[in-house]
Amino acid sequence: MTNRISGVSRRGFAKRSIAAGVAAAAAPTWTSTVFAQSSKPIRLGYVSPRTGPLAAFAEADDFVIKGYLETVKGGLKIGNATRPVEVVVKDSQSNPNRAATVAKELIVNDKVDLILVGGTPETTNPVSTQCEIEGVPCISTLAPWQPYFIGRQGNPGDPKTWKPFSYTYHFFWGLEDVIAVYTNMWEQVSTNKSVGGLFPNDGDGNAWGDKVVGFPPVLDKKGYKLTDPGRYRNLTDDFTAQINAFKNAKCEILTGVVLPPDFTTFWNQARQQGFRPKVASVGKALLFPVSVETLGDAGNNLSSEVWWTPNHPFKSSLTGLSAKQVADAYQQSSGKQWTQPIGFAHALFEIATDALKRSADAGKADAIVAAIAATDLDTIVGKVHWGQKDLPPFAQKNIAKTPLVGGQWRRAANGKYDIVITDNKTAPSIPVGGQMQPIA
Amino acid sequence: MTAASPRFRMTTRTRVSSWATIGAAILTAGLAALPAVASRGLIQDLFFIFTMLCLAQYWNLLAGYAGLVSVGQQAFVGLGAYTLFAATILAGIEPLTAALLSGVVAAAMAVPTAFVVFRLRGAYFAIGTWVAAEVYRLVLAQVKELGGGTGTSLTMSVVSSTAGLDWVSMAFGVRTPAARDIVVYWAALALLVITLAGIYWLLRSRFGLALSSLRDSELTASSIGVDAFRLKVFVYILTAAGGGAAGALIFLQSARISPDSAFAVLDWTAYVIFIVVIGGIGTIEGPIVGAVVFYFLQTYLAAFGTWYLMLLGALGIVIMLIAPKGIWGSIADRFDLHLFPTRRRLVVTSTRRTGDDRQRARQSGPPSGQMRR
Repeated sequence: MTNRISGVSRRGFAKRSIAAGVAAAAAPTWTSTVFAQSSKPIRLGYVSPRTGPLAAFAEADDFVIKGYLETVKGGLKIGNATRPVEVVVKDSQSNPNRAATVAKELIVNDKVDLILVGGTPETTNPVSTQCEIEGVPCISTLAPWQPYFIGRQGNPGDPKTWKPFSYTYHFFWGLEDVIAVYTNMWEQVSTNKSVGGLFPNDGDGNAWGDKVVGFPPVLDKKGYKLTDPGRYRNLTDDFTAQINAFKNAKCEILTGVVLPPDFTTFWNQARQQGFRPKVASVGKALLFPVSVETLGDAGNNLSSEVWWTPNHPFKSSLTGLSAKQVADAYQQSSGKQWTQPIGFAHALFEIATDALKRSADAGKADAIVAAIAATDLDTIVGKVHWGQKDLPPFAQKNIAKTPLVGGQWRRAANGKYDIVITDNKTAPSIPVGGQMQPIA
Repeated sequence: MTAASPRFRMTTRTRVSSWATIGAAILTAGLAALPAVASRGLIQDLFFIFTMLCLAQYWNLLAGYAGLVSVGQQAFVGLGAYTLFAATILAGIEPLTAALLSGVVAAAMAVPTAFVVFRLRGAYFAIGTWVAAEVYRLVLAQVKELGGGTGTSLTMSVVSSTAGLDWVSMAFGVRTPAARDIVVYWAALALLVITLAGIYWLLRSRFGLALSSLRDSELTASSIGVDAFRLKVFVYILTAAGGGAAGALIFLQSARISPDSAFAVLDWTAYVIFIVVIGGIGTIEGPIVGAVVFYFLQTYLAAFGTWYLMLLGALGIVIMLIAPKGIWGSIADRFDLHLFPTRRRLVVTSTRRTGDDRQRARQSGPPSGQMRR
């Protein structure tokens, strides 16, 4: 699927051709490339899991991309030239092999100038890896930075060998943020501080459960007792072992990073087998209202990290619209409830546009990368600024953090679920909508 | 055999096959020289076809000739791929050498695997191979040095240590990523030629006759002295080696591995079975046709996501119902066309033969049902 936008009028084209001619007269050789470059479109590649188990992450893509192309239909002014913008969209099918293949197609066949990618480490990592070895700039999001950064190192087990990347940049939050958000939420409810951890053997699960960078050391320090029955396999249909371990440890808090179908299985089995924690803060599974709705009444007061809501006090640098206006527009055009990835998909295009405008020599990978690295932009998901001190030194170059808060799903009278922000200690600028309530 | 009878000799060769062999040699030379003129996109597409075709040929040898319907060939693709990552990242071995090592390791691992799965038969064998692949996947998901369940990426220093990159980028005047494509493309072409030539040679040898007899009736074959067990284990190990080497090349290209991607039953077994089934099982030409058809389906229809997978499934079912011998099988039957014949025929070599005799011999086919192909 290729969306082409031509932002070049005939007169503008003629003007630029003359300008190119003048420029070329001063240059040592007159080549067609000088001429072509002024009108050649800037081509963005976009990879996301449009189909498969991760499809919910890409649900709003068409809305975002359509809106973006509308915004830049007059072309992008880069240096002295205005260049039309094209976006080439590829589907990873939620399959890491496919993600690598389509990234290669974008680079080799579509000759894109910049690749944007989102939707869990299973999508961002293969695409970023291809970009890095091909020397094509890449901006990614929708994956905590640890699985993104550490998961792409040759030997993830040995921190001494970790190296920064040259062409690939990432913005999102990290495990340290989600841990802070969760423990802040838990402190609002009186519990015995016994936590059950549900971590699968995948990119996210290994990072969250890691004894060095994950939950265990921090929980230990804050006086929580973590029961971790080990890494389970995704799409399991029996959680009896985990439920028994949690019951034996009298866990009153549940946490983890679980695929939506797995959480439905776990939560139903837990209730059947009499495991009823007071708080359940779970990543990934509870991002989307549809996955909470499948739990019926049992979904009420489940909590999750919140990266973006229509109540976030940010606005788009592209359109000037507020988070609320963007979410409303999505609900109107799709008839569906807003979801968190909308903001981040939009922000990808904000950052890309901002960087391209600042790249003196667009079309040259190194110029675009330099512009991305220098980004300091207020986007719809907050400030994105690489090279900050809120990260360990090895990750500062390639990672930028966006604010994270915590929220609880509350069921409205019409049966719909809405997320209410219940803790903002980590990002006080984002308003809270209520207090934490224990699960009934 | 020629010595036994002065008037007849046995051959598998036909005039068509002689031309086909010459054609194949020219095509191979052409493909080897192709990077000089072709675009990177074409080189990458051909790499995809070559590697899938290798896997398809091995599965065809297993299922079409040895009667071993395995749905666990991803075990060896995955083992080969992980061997490549371990050898290059942890031991610093050059990637192409590591790919050879991958074949060796996959073959070595096939021995204990065979010990387990060969106790099972038919459908149980198929499920057993799948289980074995899952076991390997779960084990490798525990290896922290290779990223556990998260997986890991080949670093820049590893991919740029591939042999011959400097030479290729100088000779063809291309950037290093394009040079890497070319080197890996040649490696895949070499693997494909070895695979095709090896399998063709194998099937025309005594060994191939034994395999064909095994395919037609294991009981009969055993009763006339074919050691079925040894033969099957040999084929199983051989295909494991090939699958491991192909897996190493595939993942050298994608540069990213995780247990789910390396041991993907859909990518490395289901698609491969699809290729063999639509192309024509039990022939060498069939998987070639199948791989090309699959490539075009994937190129033009993969954008339809789930519908594409449903279409592949539906197409597979339709072909199995209306043309169980696949596309090539149907063509071969209709026109009696065999580019790489493995069927043994008697040819009259008497001095009194005439042109008519020779033609009759060519058309007469095999002397008895048991000896077909």
